[in-house]
Amino acid sequence: MTRSLAITLNALGLYAIALVLLVAFGAQLVLHELPCPLCLLQRIQFAMLAVGPLLNVRFGPRPSHYAVSLLTAAAGAAFAARQILLHVMLGDPGYGSALLGYHYYTWAFIGFAVAVVALAAMLLFDAQFKADDKAEPVGGFVRAAVWLVLALTALNVISTLLECGFGACPDNPLTYELLKRAG
Amino acid sequence: MEFTILFLAVAVVMGAAWWGTRTLALALFAATLLASIATYLHHASDVLKLSF
Repeated sequence: MTRSLAITLNALGLYAIALVLLVAFGAQLVLHELPCPLCLLQRIQFAMLAVGPLLNVRFGPRPSHYAVSLLTAAAGAAFAARQILLHVMLGDPGYGSALLGYHYYTWAFIGFAVAVVALAAMLLFDAQFKADDKAEPVGGFVRAAVWLVLALTALNVISTLLECGFGACPDNPLTYELLKRAG
Repeated sequence: MEFTILFLAVAVVMGAAWWGTRTLALALFAATLLASIATYLHHASDVLKLSF
């Protein structure tokens, strides 16, 4: 795998992360389902997954950049597994609504597991790590992916501030705390 | 509030990765990852009702 192909695949990874963050936002805004604290933590880990690809497209692919995303995916999978186990008992309806038969935290676990496999697969290709001291010019496709992920993370800052306000976030949030106080 | 700060921290890490130095981005990433794990451990106080 060439260095430029690896950078393109990393940009595609950024678009995939942006899609996950968009779907989460969609569920929040369309279905009016506010994310719980554990759900927010998983969303934070999805955003943090973008740091590795971001470093790869900016400084060139390095194993340490993939390690950054692997560590994040492991943490995210652990958080999602905890929420699955909280609702694993028979008769427990789970938290929030299901999408295609699975709750969001189950999809999150699957997403983090897929990320681990994809990152491990990327690490198999040593040719991308050959240093040539020549910085690759960043194209519009890569730049758009970076700005998309950055914008979605910034929107999550605002959304979480509106949801939780300046205090502790409720376990089962039903309204936007900051809007409630203002209203 | 801690979740807002964590999202903000992630945005700052991304900014450092894109505009700043690699070392700064990696240091900020490590701090943010540790903070998110600490937040998880602080909240993971509910007993798991499991029966295997």
